[in-house]
Amino acid sequence: MYAAATIVGGLGTGLIGFYIGIGVTALVRLAFGLDAWEKELSIAVGYVFGLFGWLMGIGGWGIWGREWFGLKTYQRKATGWQRYFTFCTDHKVIGIQYLVTFSVTFLLAGLMAMLMRAELAFSGTQIFSHDQFNAIMGLHGILMVAVAVAAVFGGFGNYFVPLMIGAEDMAFPRLNALSFWLVPPTAFMLLTTPFLGGIDTGWTAYPPLSTVVDTAQLTFNLAIITFGLSSILGGLNFIVTIIFMRAPGMTWGRLPIFVWSMFATAWIALLYTQGFAVALFMVTMDRIAGMSFFNVDNGGDPLLYQHIFWFYSHPAVYIMVLPGFGILLEVLSHFSRKPLFAYKYAVGGFLGILGLSGGVWAHHMFTSGMPNFLHGPFLVATELISIPTGLVFLSALGTIWMGKLQLRPPMLFALAVLFNFACGGVTGIFLADVPTDIHLHDTYFVVAHFHYTILGGEIFAMFAGIYYWFPKMTGRQYNEKLAKLHFWWMFIGFNLTFFLMHFPGIQGMNRRIADYPEYLEPINLAVSLSAFFLGASFLVFVYNMVWSWFRGPAAEANPWRARTLEWQTSSPPPVENFHVPPVVTGHPYDYGVPGSTHGVFGGLPGGLPGAAPAGGGGGGQ
Amino acid sequence: MRPATDTDAVLLCADERGPVKKHFIAAAFFWAVLTAAGELLVFADLFPTVGSEEAEEFDRIFRILLAMGWPVFAFVVSVVGYSFFQFRSRGDDSEDGPAMYGRGAVPRVWLGITGGLAVLTMIFPGLTGLAELQSDRGGYGWGDTEGELLVKVEGFRYSWAFQYPDLGVEILGANQELVLPVDTKVKFEVSSLDVVHSFWIPAFRMKIDAIPGRTTFMTVTPTKVGSYDDDQSFRVQCAELCGMDHSVMSFPVRVVEREEFDAWIASQKEEQ
Repeated sequence: MYAAATIVGGLGTGLIGFYIGIGVTALVRLAFGLDAWEKELSIAVGYVFGLFGWLMGIGGWGIWGREWFGLKTYQRKATGWQRYFTFCTDHKVIGIQYLVTFSVTFLLAGLMAMLMRAELAFSGTQIFSHDQFNAIMGLHGILMVAVAVAAVFGGFGNYFVPLMIGAEDMAFPRLNALSFWLVPPTAFMLLTTPFLGGIDTGWTAYPPLSTVVDTAQLTFNLAIITFGLSSILGGLNFIVTIIFMRAPGMTWGRLPIFVWSMFATAWIALLYTQGFAVALFMVTMDRIAGMSFFNVDNGGDPLLYQHIFWFYSHPAVYIMVLPGFGILLEVLSHFSRKPLFAYKYAVGGFLGILGLSGGVWAHHMFTSGMPNFLHGPFLVATELISIPTGLVFLSALGTIWMGKLQLRPPMLFALAVLFNFACGGVTGIFLADVPTDIHLHDTYFVVAHFHYTILGGEIFAMFAGIYYWFPKMTGRQYNEKLAKLHFWWMFIGFNLTFFLMHFPGIQGMNRRIADYPEYLEPINLAVSLSAFFLGASFLVFVYNMVWSWFRGPAAEANPWRARTLEWQTSSPPPVENFHVPPVVTGHPYDYGVPGSTHGVFGGLPGGLPGAAPAGGGGGGQ
Repeated sequence: MRPATDTDAVLLCADERGPVKKHFIAAAFFWAVLTAAGELLVFADLFPTVGSEEAEEFDRIFRILLAMGWPVFAFVVSVVGYSFFQFRSRGDDSEDGPAMYGRGAVPRVWLGITGGLAVLTMIFPGLTGLAELQSDRGGYGWGDTEGELLVKVEGFRYSWAFQYPDLGVEILGANQELVLPVDTKVKFEVSSLDVVHSFWIPAFRMKIDAIPGRTTFMTVTPTKVGSYDDDQSFRVQCAELCGMDHSVMSFPVRVVEREEFDAWIASQKEEQ
């Protein structure tokens, strides 16, 4: 059993590394005449060594480490499901590793949301103490942020970017595997927090609270720094892959729109993720090394943290939402059987969002007590973002207008993204406008707003992607009736829950609270009941996915008659992706143009013996 | 190899489902109805008690944004909804839609309209509203820098302490209320003893963070007599996560007539 051997090996070397780290710390401290054990310092150093040990043990040593000593490298050759538990460099394996990991995380964090809604159904303390509630709330927040950042970016990005540009793999396959195997330590560290005192600071970890509380704050910080490293490496890999690994003929003007969205996203991940890591590194230094970046008594400034933190954490929402937009436009074009409307403007929209993303962070700080002259510029920059976002909507609405809409499950989810994100976009104006934000900041209005954009925008797009690409990834077809049931159930549940959630916010209910005054009780009960309804919809999804993956009927190579390259190879694709390497000859979205082709394989259209020409299907009008 | 059709040409041509013009008119009608219905929301009372001049201003600007934002939302809903019902593929699935590329005037007009709307919103009610809120560009807070009554606020885990330095009165501890005179411009100077808190009174619609090592301020003019016992939006609520009991870090507020306030001050002085 390769799988079990790798995992146990990784855990073993990780543990050894952890104790070596603690030992080294103890020796150094003893040499200076200090106590051998200093809780947080010892754990932090132990974690760094342990992380290295884990990465080596899981397979990094064989495929990477041996090289440093002039030895021959090797990769464990596992097959079938066991590949998913090894340090495998195949981008398709890594994509599924990401997707499954974060789907499970999504369900787990969703369960935490159910617990919170159970507590918040009534005023007063029902189920959890304030501390327990804060721990669940913080964990729900950070896990969902991780899902939103990595499920689409790491999952679909890894699986489909190389396929869609006609490449055999990512530019740096080993780095790619490394990015994924940094995720389990992150998950482990986060999931241990409830047993080590919980996190009391939410996912934002504002100091001085985060530097003084005696909770699992350190574990949280280390997890996020690890996760940040994973994101940065992933971003770098995507940029290089998209620039250098495109098939012959795949010009920038012929790049599928999902790849464009990933390109813009990868830049944001590469440029800004360090902000979050640095902010939490400074908190960690305040805690373990006696520094005082945020300690007022020693000349520090708590607001410094908020600037650094939001310098990443606002661009992060575009890391979440841009690949979602990519899937949205991809699905809309294929399922409207029409060219992507205003393709170049949509690309311009993505790049415009990339350009503006780094200049808007302080709109999270309008009431933070920052100097007054900062409010105007950030208000302006924030509202400018609506212009490139509007271009994405232009492309989307123009594509479905006059189309031949095939209302299959991916298309239903894509149309819902438009509806939900339009609502989230409009409520965003209330928060970008300082005069209204003063009251609404840190209330449930904000909670409703960002769930509309992230859950309603990105996660709905993620489900569109799951239902769109499931046949390609698994080689099996799912039950469409159940998929449609899941869609309508989730769509109605989502809109009930989060539309209602705006009202307690306006009425004076602040966020991140375990308890609230009685006058807010009726509306909260309604929100809670809707949330339970929403939560139940995922049971249909899980059943459909699990059953179909094992028992579903075999899928065709191209069940949707889509034109992009990933559909011109078998389902699932072979290790080398294409039996014959593709040459790109035309635009991916030329639906309704007789005789147009997107890719040819060995001089012939279509990558499979007897397959329809790439981008063929449906002659014209 | 793409045909030389321009967006405009295709948009105006007809296909087998009838002239495009018909679809435009029908969708536009749908949008108009939806917009008209949604604009009624502007008259809905979504707000807690209007307890101050600033609250009136907030409610007004909120309604303006609602009136401006709703048609945008309704536009997306109309196009998506109309397409969902009218352009769904019936029968023969193998046919493609018309090859519209959006290379003509449509994207430029769109860019002009969305750009114009964005600039409009940022100027009014954005920057104009902001200008009214800030009297001092270098300061750290909302409203005028001078008030008729000064109240010093200190946040600490998990309650608030208040001082009327000019009147020599302090409020601290359980069973107390923050008492304020009606129709008086009150300046709060806010700071924190430990971690970041946020000083927020929902009935006044105003909020500013309490930060250790810095003094922030907000100036509010209460316009309505009321108290927490009758109306829970009259409360100081901490709005920035500050640890375990953050959710119950609130403090009752009572707004009273001037004479009652003076009497209350006198009684407090006797006690202290």
